[in-house]
Amino acid sequence: MVGIGFRREFAQELIAGELIHPDFIEFAPENWMHIGGHWKKLLHQAVERYPVLCHGLSLSIGSPEPLDQEFLRYVKSFLEEYQIQLYSEHISYSKCDNAHMYDLLPVPFRMDAVRHISERIQQVQDYMQRPLVMEIVSYYTPVAAEMSESDFISEIVRQSGCQLLLDVNNIYVNAFNHQYDAKEFIAQLPLDKVGYIHMAGHEKVTPDLIIDTHADAIIDPVYDLFEGTIQRLKPVPVLLERDYNFPQLPELQGELNRLKAICNKHWSRNHALVSGNI
Amino acid sequence: MHLSAETYSVQQAFSRYCRTGKKGNLSGVQTDRMAWYREMVFNIFADALETAFPIAFANLPQGKWDSMTKEFCSQHACQSYQLWKMPLEFYTYAVENSWDEKHHIPYLNDLLSFEWAELELYNMEDLAVPAFKLQGNWLQESILLNPEYRLLAFKYPVHKETNRRKILQQAGAWFVLLYRMPETGLVQFIELSPWLAFVMEQLYAGITLSDILAYAPDLNITVTDTLASETVLFLQEMQTRQLVLGFQP
Ligand SMILES: [Fe+2]
Repeated sequence: MVGIGFRREFAQELIAGELIHPDFIEFAPENWMHIGGHWKKLLHQAVERYPVLCHGLSLSIGSPEPLDQEFLRYVKSFLEEYQIQLYSEHISYSKCDNAHMYDLLPVPFRMDAVRHISERIQQVQDYMQRPLVMEIVSYYTPVAAEMSESDFISEIVRQSGCQLLLDVNNIYVNAFNHQYDAKEFIAQLPLDKVGYIHMAGHEKVTPDLIIDTHADAIIDPVYDLFEGTIQRLKPVPVLLERDYNFPQLPELQGELNRLKAICNKHWSRNHALVSGNI
Repeated sequence: MHLSAETYSVQQAFSRYCRTGKKGNLSGVQTDRMAWYREMVFNIFADALETAFPIAFANLPQGKWDSMTKEFCSQHACQSYQLWKMPLEFYTYAVENSWDEKHHIPYLNDLLSFEWAELELYNMEDLAVPAFKLQGNWLQESILLNPEYRLLAFKYPVHKETNRRKILQQAGAWFVLLYRMPETGLVQFIELSPWLAFVMEQLYAGITLSDILAYAPDLNITVTDTLASETVLFLQEMQTRQLVLGFQP
């Protein structure tokens, strides 16, 4: 399954399914909760046409302050209303001092933060009655780190029991920005816990810094990293994230096709072996 | 809580820097890279506010707009977990902090309220439409109206003027009713006379037109046959424009 982020900019075309026809769509509940009128009608048409996965923005699992119970209640009912199969979020924080910042800030890689985040993931999982799939975010500076990033992530997965959202572009971006080897980093992760993959484009803004913009096409080295990685994974949904600077839709469909071809190359064989058809 | 006081304060310092630009006591970060976060957070605020308030953004002096968005981003703790609702907090912040006086834009509150109402109506959850019949007695029967509306009173005609001098010249009492069209979801607005604004407010409160007319002398309005028939004509016109639904069955 290869999907794409459901954006208002090309919602009509997605629903029509002519220029672009993903296997599923993904959107942020925060962008569609408590909405009526024109957009609610389109949302209903989209949900009728495609399976939907949700990718949240405002949970702020890494916040020092308590979880927002009212928010959780609305997200839960939204996921139930639209029969969302998968709810993912970010290992980061976007709220502090009781103020939303609407951006993903990096959490200090520290053991107390691991315990804090893991406990909160468990609270959310218990309340939502479903596993959370947590994304490794792109970050541009470590913040008072006391442990390695891969240990930090692995410990959260181990202690919380959550699944991982592996954003291959994020790993590529982080490896470049923090000068480590992306493949080695991926090899250190609990890959059996990966439940979802993101792919996206990025922008190099200075010779030593890449920003994860979702405003360009996926570049070849990220495809390569993706191809190397999925050979070590069981089949999971793969999403193309494109949030700005939209090209003609056939170009996006081209990216979906390329991702799908790579998945089919490696996963159909795995599938067949598992099911014993060959 | 598992989080140590130190990690808590590190996270606080980082996020405070993103909002205010004040570095505080932060070690173990790459300062030049941290600046990107501040820029990204501010851009998210700036983009959302420009989109929500396109008239204000296009017509207020750029320097004033920038200083408003910067102050809001750094001083106000946003409560909405949905970004599209954040501009309401900006409008509220502007009113509470008397930005109209501080920035010498007397019509600022009217303008922000008008633009927010448009956005809110466009996005807001669907409200149940009551059962209605199309024909009835305009004077005696309960008139049912489109429930998705906002009735706003302005001192300045921000709904039809963008030029500062012209807006200020026309200070007075302006009434604008905005509503969402059922099929298209588009937001329409109409300017109302003080009398028709009063009529609409009362109709929305469930009062019949004949009772509203009976109250007119208290507003120093002389009830004539023309007033009654012109009011009915207006309501009939509004029925074709889907503001008036019909009558209580
Ligand atoms: Fe992602």
